[in-house]
Amino acid sequence: MNDPLSRRRLILGLAASLFTTTLCAADKPKAVIGISVLTLANPFFKDLADSMTAEAKAHGMTTIVTSGEFDAAKQQNQVADFIVRKVDAIVLCPCDSKAVGTTLVQANKAGIPVFTADIASLAKEGKVVGHVATDNFGGGKLAAVALIEALGGKGKVAILDHPEAESVILRTKGFNEELARQKREKGVSIEVVATLPGGAAKDRSMKATEDLLQAHPDLNGIFAINDPSALGAVAALEKAGRSGQVKIVGFDGMPEGKAAIKAGKIYADPIQFPDRIGQIAIQNIVKYLAGDDVSKETLIPTQLYRKADADKDPTLK
Amino acid sequence: MTNARQRLATALRHYGMAGVLVLLCAFFSAVTVREEIPGGEEAGKRLVETDLSTLDGPARFLVFAPDSDDGRAFAAPIEHAFRKKNQPTIIFVTTPRDVRVALKKLAANGEKFDQVVAAPECANWTVFDKLTEDLPGLASAKLVQNHGTRWPIFLTRQNLLNVANQIVVVAILSAGLTFVILTGGIDLSVGSLIALAAVVSTRLVRDRLGGTEASNGALLLAALAGLALCALIGLASGAAVVRFQLPSFIATLAVMQAASGLAFILSQGQSIYEVPESSAWLGRGTGLFGLPHAVVLMLLVFAAAHILLTRTVLGRYLYAVGGNEQASRLSGVPVGRVKLFAYSACAALAGLGGIEMASQLKSGAPTYGTSYELYAIAAVVVGGTSLTGGQGNVLGTLVGALIIAVINNGMNLTGVESYTQKVVLGLVILAAVLLDRLKGRLGPSARH
Repeated sequence: MNDPLSRRRLILGLAASLFTTTLCAADKPKAVIGISVLTLANPFFKDLADSMTAEAKAHGMTTIVTSGEFDAAKQQNQVADFIVRKVDAIVLCPCDSKAVGTTLVQANKAGIPVFTADIASLAKEGKVVGHVATDNFGGGKLAAVALIEALGGKGKVAILDHPEAESVILRTKGFNEELARQKREKGVSIEVVATLPGGAAKDRSMKATEDLLQAHPDLNGIFAINDPSALGAVAALEKAGRSGQVKIVGFDGMPEGKAAIKAGKIYADPIQFPDRIGQIAIQNIVKYLAGDDVSKETLIPTQLYRKADADKDPTLK
Repeated sequence: MTNARQRLATALRHYGMAGVLVLLCAFFSAVTVREEIPGGEEAGKRLVETDLSTLDGPARFLVFAPDSDDGRAFAAPIEHAFRKKNQPTIIFVTTPRDVRVALKKLAANGEKFDQVVAAPECANWTVFDKLTEDLPGLASAKLVQNHGTRWPIFLTRQNLLNVANQIVVVAILSAGLTFVILTGGIDLSVGSLIALAAVVSTRLVRDRLGGTEASNGALLLAALAGLALCALIGLASGAAVVRFQLPSFIATLAVMQAASGLAFILSQGQSIYEVPESSAWLGRGTGLFGLPHAVVLMLLVFAAAHILLTRTVLGRYLYAVGGNEQASRLSGVPVGRVKLFAYSACAALAGLGGIEMASQLKSGAPTYGTSYELYAIAAVVVGGTSLTGGQGNVLGTLVGALIIAVINNGMNLTGVESYTQKVVLGLVILAAVLLDRLKGRLGPSARH
């Protein structure tokens, strides 16, 4: 009785009050993760959110999924609601990389760790524990490899760009660097004749491609920085009756993009893995709560997806 | 019978929407009842009073709290109590990673502790699961439990302030829009003017007034410049409506496009964030009674608008113009000038909303305010102002804005996914308009 060990107890604050727990019990209070993605209208972010929810469940945690829908103020409100709910961690795809600072500071002040997925914070203030995203620079290089392969190493190409997004700037940079390297080292003779804004959207990319075809009737290939842009280019080519004559390389690997690759309308895509990004984002949270090291940045490589892959893909009927 | 009907109609007209707001609050309170775990100072104090006071003898304590305002507030009373009792204590205000490091270090030094105390926020820190590994002396540790009280999350002070804070921009917009809608017009440009005001003032600060080193006077000047520009633009759309008899829908649609384009040009499509820390004063600061400055600003705007509409000649003119323009003209109301006032006041308030948003986000971007005109119109309509003009009041608009905010906040708290949120919001607007119709049918006086 006098052994001090017998008196050694753990008071895990008042928080434990909700639940009848002992130190090693299985029914521990469930950690809650607040998630705000960029938009749920894009299947990429839907997949990302779904994979986070699934991975969290596997670790006995629950998620609250919201979407900022490109509105930085709305996203800030969602984070304020997370803070009221006292979530244990927050995952953001910032709607505005530079304006996300005040939102981060709010969460930091409440002692809630913030993680980012797909889009990084470029704000001067606010702490982010860990960031997970596609290796967009490497993906851009793969896109160049695919387009060179599709054109047999020579021709005129254009880029459907969207420089408003940091991720896209990296893709375009990777594309141009790989092309320049192959020109220097492997005698490839491909020339970029135009870089036009396609708004990362189908409608604007279609119009841009129509204009491209007028300005450069001898165009051989297009690098579209995401699947909606690539599909917009496909629509313009079909309308002009030049389907298949201009090779298109997209980016993403959305279901609609993959179907177009299977149909031969898009040559190939460096595909992203939103499910991997989501899983690692959640694993980062698990590590953080357990007091383990979390890497500041994790880049998930892309993979080239051609017609042969599409033909074998069980998700495409 | 008719008397009862009329009384019902009057009640509906005056308190219908306020009643809906109360019902919504009651609903969301009911569905968000949780065991409320007191945090911060209260939690620390309670722990000292209940569990720690029962401990006798010289025990050694280890206290952990998260690195946050609440965490520090939690640790303070505990530290104080221990110091008074002269009990050896180590207190960490920290992250899980540092807890791990600290525990390892203490174990390596052979330190022994009798009690580990952690703040409520640390409940899910799995680092404590390995406590017995990291500090073997705690192998027989037992959990002491406390009980919280059941209380709706919705009705916590912080959440109610959130609701108010979240609606400030839309509410300010809709106050201005009430003027225009009362005259029988509409202003679609308010959303774009948010972006324009935010971009113009942040760019002025960045390029002309000293960037991140700008003084408070400079910030005020930039804000006023943004406001003035919006007021001028409002005057121009008003002139288009008055002089050239353009439908307000078309005139302000054109302004909406032009203002948005201008905001993109001036900002080159990027956010402008090179502004001083102090620029967050309006958007994030709090003042008297812990009320956010933004909320105070909103209340001031509504008080001013209410006085203007109910106590001034101009206010009566606004109703008159919307009720019957021809009759007003014939009875000597300066219809043109009244309308010019409505459009420029509306645009200036939209500019104020833009300044507010720029302050909240400490930056200005051309994407701000996208489709906010629709939220503002919804707030005005839900608040009972008739789109045909001449009827309604600005307090109703405030209630309308709050209804929208409460629904958004409540759905976020209960975890309704965002697709469903849109559907619900649409249905609420529809219901509000139907209620408006019902008022008209119940009381014949309501439609005059």
